[in-house]
Amino acid sequence: MLLVVVSLLLLTAYFGEAPNGRLHAVQRDFLTVVSPIQDGANKALKPVRNLFGWIDNTVHAKKQRDELLKQVDKLRAELVSSQSEKRSYHELLGLYHLDDQLSIGDYHPVTATVVGKSPNIWYATVDIDQGESAGVHVNDPVINGEGLVGKVALATSDGAEVSLITDSTMGVSARLGTTNATGIVQPKLGDPNDLLLQYLPANTVANPGEYVVTSGTVSSPDDSLYPPGILIGQVTSVNEESAYESVNVRPAANLHNLDVVQVLTAAQGTLPANLSHLAVSLPVGQGAGASGSSGEALASTGAG
Amino acid sequence: MTPGSGPSFGLLVRIAVLAVVVVFVQIGVVSEVPLFGVSIDISPLLVVFVGLLCGSTVGALTGFAVGLLVDLTLVQTLGVTSLIFTLIGYWSGRLRELRDPQAALTPLLVGAAGTAAALVGYSLMEFLLGVDAPVSLELVRQIVIGILLGTMVALPMWVIVRRSLVGALPEDPRRRRRRAYTTGGLSPLSRP
Repeated sequence: MLLVVVSLLLLTAYFGEAPNGRLHAVQRDFLTVVSPIQDGANKALKPVRNLFGWIDNTVHAKKQRDELLKQVDKLRAELVSSQSEKRSYHELLGLYHLDDQLSIGDYHPVTATVVGKSPNIWYATVDIDQGESAGVHVNDPVINGEGLVGKVALATSDGAEVSLITDSTMGVSARLGTTNATGIVQPKLGDPNDLLLQYLPANTVANPGEYVVTSGTVSSPDDSLYPPGILIGQVTSVNEESAYESVNVRPAANLHNLDVVQVLTAAQGTLPANLSHLAVSLPVGQGAGASGSSGEALASTGAG
Repeated sequence: MTPGSGPSFGLLVRIAVLAVVVVFVQIGVVSEVPLFGVSIDISPLLVVFVGLLCGSTVGALTGFAVGLLVDLTLVQTLGVTSLIFTLIGYWSGRLRELRDPQAALTPLLVGAAGTAAALVGYSLMEFLLGVDAPVSLELVRQIVIGILLGTMVALPMWVIVRRSLVGALPEDPRRRRRRAYTTGGLSPLSRP
């Protein structure tokens, strides 16, 4: 009975306090102590994990090969058409002096290894082995070679906790690849292979297979400023709703099997960091990118 | 644990070591190998089996400690896992104290019930605390698969927990009596 009461008190206190409160600080301190142990345990247990991973990969290899062969055919056709478009695009960029844009390298990416993962279906989080000592801060975007992974939720000196884009706390400002319609990508709890791009204008034309990328905008002061153009996923289906349209999106990054990720730290004094400060300091609805066509797009980085 | 006798220091140390190892193996390996899109959770199994072997007090204590460790390590809402694990640890301990089930399938059923209680309890708590994101019906499928996977690993987990603790478990007089009858000893009722 006493333990139940203590649990309830902890729960109430934790839920009611601010993110910089005492219990959150205890959690951060605990993670600081545990991070090196977790890192060591991860290295020691890596062969076991690899063995299970190898079995899983072998089971799915044939299906993946067939899917990839189809994709190669499709992409080859797309490449041919996009090459001519790319040439025109660069000509236009030069014409309007917009070719001095930010690249991922400008965001000072820090490479980190995933050392732990939550088993809980309500929390989609992973632990990484780089923290504040490497320049990682809370809200920094996290990517891998496939696309957007999530953002840093908590950082300690030698480790950090990353909320994946399928975590219930996440919301990412995004746009559809071809139409430029913007909305907010949210997870669908219970389905880690499905995201929901919501608040698209009602007349938006979205086709299955279309890419969804980060818009480079923030929707609230608490939001992370993700660099524009990072792949989030592909549209799988369209939902008809009354005022706004929403589409289902399959994440591009394989979030079940994360090993190495990059944290975009945007070091102090750099252009991305300055833009980030500027974006979050703007009052909601006053940003340069506000289009009025959706529920977000409030502050543009001007980089995409 | 019999009424009136507390857990030995050796038993508590063994449980503490086992809890730390299980939580780190869970986070570092088991969680990263999803089956049918769901990660197996072995921490509730540890709690119910400690309760089943050591009784309600030790079960509840283990549940609270393991839950707190999980919440701290995974930066989850502090107290949620502790609350659920305390209750399932206590429940499995009471099951032992009141019924003392001896069937071979007991660990399997208790493991399944413990996993189900943890998954459903956690979902209820999250709903009570408020969910910002849309919830998919797939959640039900995930819970069902989670219970099946928990049941699948219940027996190996039972063997690990029992072997880790068996040397430090005190002899239970009821079991000693029962063993005596079944191995040829006379029941007190049949003695002259």
